[in-house]
Amino acid sequence: MAEERDIGSILLVDCGTVITKAVLLEQVAGQYHFIARGEASTTMEYPWSDVTEGIRHAGEQISEATGRRFFDVNGNLISPELAGRQGVDAFAATVSASQPLQVVLGGLVRDLSVASAERAAAGTYSSIKAILASNGQMGRSNTEERIRTILDAMPDVVCITGGTDGGAVTPVLELVETAALSSTLIEPQNRPCLLYAGNARLRRRVVDIIGERAELRVVDNVRPTLSEETLSSAQTELNALYVQDKMRHMPGIETIIDWNPVPLTPTASAFGRLVQYLWHLGDPSKGVLGVDLGAANTTLAAVFDGQLFMTIRGDVGTVFGGEQLLQERGTENITRWLPEPMSAEEARGVFINKETHPISIQQEPRELWLEQALAREAIRATLEVARPGWEPGSAQPYSHLLPLCDTIVIGGGALAHAPRPGQVALIVLDTLEPIGVTTLVLDSYGLAPALGNVAAIKPLAAVETLDNGGLVNLATVITPVGHARRGDTILKMSVTYEDGSTFRVEVRYGDLEVLPLLPGQQAVIELHPLRRFDVGLGGPGKAGKRRVNGGLVGLIVDARGRPLRHPNRSDRQQEQMKKWLWDVGG
Amino acid sequence: MLYTSEIQITPLTSIRRERTLPAPGRVLVDVGDRVEATQVIARTDLPGDFHVLSVARLLGVRASRVKRYLQVKVGDKVGRGQVIAKRRGLFTRSVKSPTDGVLAAISGQYVLINTRPTTFELLAYIQGTVTSVREQKSVVIEAIGAVIQAAWGAGGENVGVLKCMVKGPSEPLETEGIDPSCHGMILVGGAGMDEGVLERAEEFEARGIVIGGLQPELLPQVEQTPFPVVVTEGIGSAPMSTPAFHLLSTHDGRDASISAQIQTRWGIVRPEVIIQLPAETLPPAPTQPGTPLAIGTQVRAARAPYMGAVGKVVALPPHALRIETGARVRGAEVDLGEGTPTFIPLANLEILR
Repeated sequence: MAEERDIGSILLVDCGTVITKAVLLEQVAGQYHFIARGEASTTMEYPWSDVTEGIRHAGEQISEATGRRFFDVNGNLISPELAGRQGVDAFAATVSASQPLQVVLGGLVRDLSVASAERAAAGTYSSIKAILASNGQMGRSNTEERIRTILDAMPDVVCITGGTDGGAVTPVLELVETAALSSTLIEPQNRPCLLYAGNARLRRRVVDIIGERAELRVVDNVRPTLSEETLSSAQTELNALYVQDKMRHMPGIETIIDWNPVPLTPTASAFGRLVQYLWHLGDPSKGVLGVDLGAANTTLAAVFDGQLFMTIRGDVGTVFGGEQLLQERGTENITRWLPEPMSAEEARGVFINKETHPISIQQEPRELWLEQALAREAIRATLEVARPGWEPGSAQPYSHLLPLCDTIVIGGGALAHAPRPGQVALIVLDTLEPIGVTTLVLDSYGLAPALGNVAAIKPLAAVETLDNGGLVNLATVITPVGHARRGDTILKMSVTYEDGSTFRVEVRYGDLEVLPLLPGQQAVIELHPLRRFDVGLGGPGKAGKRRVNGGLVGLIVDARGRPLRHPNRSDRQQEQMKKWLWDVGG
Repeated sequence: MLYTSEIQITPLTSIRRERTLPAPGRVLVDVGDRVEATQVIARTDLPGDFHVLSVARLLGVRASRVKRYLQVKVGDKVGRGQVIAKRRGLFTRSVKSPTDGVLAAISGQYVLINTRPTTFELLAYIQGTVTSVREQKSVVIEAIGAVIQAAWGAGGENVGVLKCMVKGPSEPLETEGIDPSCHGMILVGGAGMDEGVLERAEEFEARGIVIGGLQPELLPQVEQTPFPVVVTEGIGSAPMSTPAFHLLSTHDGRDASISAQIQTRWGIVRPEVIIQLPAETLPPAPTQPGTPLAIGTQVRAARAPYMGAVGKVVALPPHALRIETGARVRGAEVDLGEGTPTFIPLANLEILR
């Protein structure tokens, strides 16, 4: 790699489960700009069985557009850059293609220690294969059942939690004994690692019970007291296990490590880093959210008071996990987002076809709606795990609703490549249900993880690329919160454009309005909520002005109410979805 | 250059299959041996069931004192009813083994008894020659024949004789056609099957079913079927692709191996049908896998509305075009034999090898 001050060109790569993306940043007139991108199938499987082939294929696309060559005749990366636009000064890769860590969680109470363990596991790419919650009871048959559960799951890790520090003893040790016994039934090379994150006073006894039967890692108790949650120690250890046991076993990964001047980063970590950076640019009293919907993972990054909360569903994405979500959430929860009827069997069939041809795309609108319905439930499922772990402080005026968010970053193939921007905006509004005034930002080039990663090599490159339009404004959303009858006027607002023209609009409860405000344009909005509705300007009934940015969709007023409600009858749900899609130009 | 996924529907090729034991065991064949598809080529013992006894509770003692009351040690064989722990006193208490087995572990209050292991036998699956053996683990068998890779499947592996039940790739497999002559056969249909087929095929002990598309409402039934069902095109009403149907119908009456095993990532496994052909027929040199899409390449459409349609690429437009969903995507003009070429997104094309 060139010296940091000399870095004039950077190739950033993200190896996803299905698609490998490559992005070229160059210094132009002293500032870093996004120049071009390419994408190709990830090549972990036969006939390539080497992830670097996908990087070369994606790089070839950039070469065709720019004339810059990245690889020599032997396929090696040319770095630093040579004369004649050959190679790049720096390279950095993020990875989400590897198998998630397979985890079995054990704890005493489902809603306490087990829920904390679930959030700890969600800090990295993991798939929870089973949950052993003893609720303080454990008989012989339960022990046998639990051993069978572990044997069936064949996890990489069994994470045992339970007991506050100095609290419960016997049921926690019984869980540990269960894990120890199950290890004796598994071939030594396949034995799961045991991660102990329970009652800290029992650590010595846990070490004695496990002995040589399994690899034991001991971390801070995830629930040291009933009201306290400490996830970072467990999350760090699980992340290390993911990198060591999963990411490092991808075919071709050693070559990428050789090319990479900085440690290889999981995509979600880099995405989280970018979301954290964006929080520093915005209103510090609010949060910033990021949703990255991948083929096999759904990542939700939230930042409040500068603190990052990462939640990853490593088993659910828009390609892999459809069948699982159909079962987990119920058919009706998926089909309520469709504008036309579809049976559970047909939905399952479409999910299977997608999974057997992961790179394929929907050619028929019917299948597109289903993918977007799946996207909604994947995000909602991830949000349900994430929210109890957030500490939004003053950004949370209503405990049952999403905290106030300044910006929501939206990434991932199904969202970035949605045929119409209104569809993406609607997916985000339907799932995250933001309140107040929020800017939706779309990562249409798939740059977000790469920019989060480049910050480790060249922070200025990340900053300048963002400033130079690395992310695209999708919309500014105004969401009034309150109660009214459908059709009641709840907000009077005016929009004053940069050319001085103004128009006024009255918003009725139940409406979803889109007002014109193009990308690059700004406007001043003046909001006068009625009936004590809250538009995030200081409390119920508070009026005020805000300067807002335009976007691909424009200015959206989402007066559908919070939380969002659906009609009970499926035909009415379909009518409603048709209307909402029509309203946002989807 | 444009790369896309590939699928093998090959009339004549060299076939290499690695057969692996689920746990270390004994390989029964040597390099150079000719094996039959149903031949046992390796064997291993798999752990049997187990029982967990809470000795501490049953004896009424603390977990830390369990070891002093045990009458057997780890690794000892135990018989059903044998006393494995005893606490003497005014009221003597004892713990008996509920089964024949081996005392496998002691952990705190618990004792774990493994019942006798079960024997697992690994079959060759294809007829061919053993070309490599990994001691205690796996065997590589090579053969010559036709291969049809499929989109989806349910069930395990089997071998049988191909029996083409339909006249064309668009014809569904029907219950009426299934009679005692289907015993031991792998039944080949076209576009889907009717509801009674699986039951009747099971009744007459068919060895497997191969069809083009499978109606989604039959999925639960197919997943319970004791023989493999291989779906060449996908879930839906698609006819079987012409090359796949042509191969299967041409070899009507030949021995075939069928596998419905599927893994869609981290070591992809595709369902398949392998038709063994006489060894003296030499396959042509294989085309290089992983090569880019080009004009003239034979492709198969993987998703609706053209799922299963096969044709040749006649043009590769340099720019993205809009499709019915509104998305703008790169694609290929494919001659599907319908007069004018059809634009299909690259992502939905599979190169036929």
